[in-house]
Amino acid sequence: MKKKPEIPDRNDYLEFLSKEKEISDQIINHSRSMITIINREYIYEKVNSTFCDAHQVVLDTILGKSMGDVWGHDTFQNDIKKNVDTCFSGETVQYEASFFTPKSGTRHFEVVFRPLSTEPGKITHLLAETFDIHDLKNTKQAVIEKEEELRKFESNLPIGFLRCDPTGRIIHANKAFLSIAECQDEQSISKMNLRSFYQEEELFEIQMYQLASDHTQNFGRVSLKNCSGKEIPCRVSGFLAVNGSGRPVYIDFAVEDCSRELMLENRLLQAQKLETIGSLAGGIAHDFNNILATISGYSEMLQDDLPKDSELSDKVSKIQGAVRKAQSITNQILTFSRHVEQEKVLINVSEVLKETFGFVKSSIPPNIVLKSWIPKMNANVLADPTQLFRVFLNLMTNAIQAMEEEGGTLSVNIEVVKREFVKHELNRAIIADEYVLLSFKDTGEGMEPSVIGRIFEPFFTTREVGKGTGLGLSVIHGIVTEMEGEILVSSKKSEGSEFLVYLPVSKRYSAIREKKNILKKILFITGNKYESRILSLALESAGYELIFISDRKNFVKVMNSISERPDLIIYMSDSKQINPEDLVRIFVSQKILTPCILITDQNQEISDKNLLNSGIIYQQLNKPVSLKEIRNAIQDLLR
Amino acid sequence: MPGILIVEDDKELREMLKMSLLRKGYTVQEAENGKEAISHFKPFITDLVVTDLIMPEEDGIKVVIRLRELKPTIKIIAISGGGKVGPGSYLKLAKALGADAIYSKPFSIKDLIVKIEQLLDNEQHT
Repeated sequence: MKKKPEIPDRNDYLEFLSKEKEISDQIINHSRSMITIINREYIYEKVNSTFCDAHQVVLDTILGKSMGDVWGHDTFQNDIKKNVDTCFSGETVQYEASFFTPKSGTRHFEVVFRPLSTEPGKITHLLAETFDIHDLKNTKQAVIEKEEELRKFESNLPIGFLRCDPTGRIIHANKAFLSIAECQDEQSISKMNLRSFYQEEELFEIQMYQLASDHTQNFGRVSLKNCSGKEIPCRVSGFLAVNGSGRPVYIDFAVEDCSRELMLENRLLQAQKLETIGSLAGGIAHDFNNILATISGYSEMLQDDLPKDSELSDKVSKIQGAVRKAQSITNQILTFSRHVEQEKVLINVSEVLKETFGFVKSSIPPNIVLKSWIPKMNANVLADPTQLFRVFLNLMTNAIQAMEEEGGTLSVNIEVVKREFVKHELNRAIIADEYVLLSFKDTGEGMEPSVIGRIFEPFFTTREVGKGTGLGLSVIHGIVTEMEGEILVSSKKSEGSEFLVYLPVSKRYSAIREKKNILKKILFITGNKYESRILSLALESAGYELIFISDRKNFVKVMNSISERPDLIIYMSDSKQINPEDLVRIFVSQKILTPCILITDQNQEISDKNLLNSGIIYQQLNKPVSLKEIRNAIQDLLR
Repeated sequence: MPGILIVEDDKELREMLKMSLLRKGYTVQEAENGKEAISHFKPFITDLVVTDLIMPEEDGIKVVIRLRELKPTIKIIAISGGGKVGPGSYLKLAKALGADAIYSKPFSIKDLIVKIEQLLDNEQHT
């Protein structure tokens, strides 16, 4: 209780009053708010120091001035007057405004007008109080912005983030989690319990126990399921937040989709497995080639000892045929295990694809539709074109076989993709700026996941025993890998399969094409234009000039022309217009001495013994002929 | 008659080669591996070497290099069944290092003998 001072006389009382006024004036003047008292004529009757200070004026110049004088008549009429009038009608008015003061420039203020009355029942004045809320407002704004930033950060985080109550009920989930869970909106997810996303709910209970005892937990890979029930492998970690008394308040979960990681791991494992099988099989093939060389050598000797056209000689021929078959298998294994060197030239992939496509098209069953998008493009790769042909042919043939019974569509596409794309898709060392991406897609029977994982393994086949060796895909895997490319497969049972082949684009300059002076002319006698065109693509890029002949008349014409006369003849045994007897006859009648290479189908019995014994064949090669083989043979003969 | 050295670790294959060459009347020596080939090499008897490339002990590449040094005029034919280590560029390497001809196993013994005759024939003319 404040003790009331005693008032002895009037003078003392006046002195007391003046002291009290002095104190209250000081309080008012030291306030951080601008305080003024305004009468009904809008005239300032009282003004505190803070006000004067802010306006940088002395007290006397303000007192007696109207609000219009101080703030400008327009501002007063438009912004201030209505608030003042409201206050004079008896209401306290509070609003925010930003205005200029000479001391601090334009800042934000909170203004309060309170009605005052000096006469009973009448509002005579108003008390105006103006606080500077500029900094406060800025801080508030900064907090809001920060919050917004955090929210954005959290929602853009590639990792799923969840806040749950201690029972696991989802309070909040970020965008990443919604997309992992394939859930439409946050509304529906916030009613759910994280437990329901677990494949095994017991596991969730165990993890909640673990969190209760140790508040931060990394659970590693957990198998979750999304809203539509599809399994998604995720990496999950949790953090349990507790209050001061140790009671759990909420649990934060981080959920990371690791299906891509798993897929890449699997792919690496596959590659390692194939590498191991490859070196194993390669070693065996090497030993087998030794054995085959022995068998082949003895049977050749035996053949020499036996009278020609005898029954025994026929039997020995059969042994030699079997050796050739076995050799073709060992060769395929060696190609798969990349023990066979490929002779590579710069070759336009789309050209090879186009030729292969044409080749396949000529013998396609009627119930299969071929679709293709093979634009002209300048994408060159370093490859043996004959091997590339083999890859494309094999993939298309497989696709067609998969649709043999039901029919369907085979789509073949080619495009050039950038390294970033490849890096993301393959996650491997990228050796070129661009890759050619080829796609072979069928609508056939498709494959089970267990089959997909093994299709590149040698001798793995889903066909009946005796139908195919199961080496086709292993061989093309070897070829593509040797080119530093990659082959991938995706398939769904009864929906079809898609094979993707990535080949690095080579920017190397083809020097050989420029050496026109070394050009040698080669004459091709062939029945199959596509297959021989592949060889010709290869040989042209190796610097040879090629002439194609498919009928007798042109052959004789070319051989008689001095300017067109070739340095070498390649005769493919599938040539229908010129059969082996014709060839021998023409050679003899025209007295042709040009060296000739014979290319035969390895499965075809060499019925043309006359051709072989005629002496016009310098070298014989079996299909499939690699660029290396044919170049060695040509170089040998043209030396 | 010219002398031929066969360097091959596979016994059956070596014997087959030996028999086929003996039938043509050549004098034949054998070595089981590169080391033996180099240490037993007789420059005055041997005119031509048929060597495997991948063998235990010194491999065929060393044989090609070393025998060339010992007798620069010697004819060398390299045969290989595909490299066991890495992409087999052995045959190409052998050719670059001085093999006169190269063959992949299995090869035709007739072709091989034609080549041998041709190489030794050239030898006599020069």
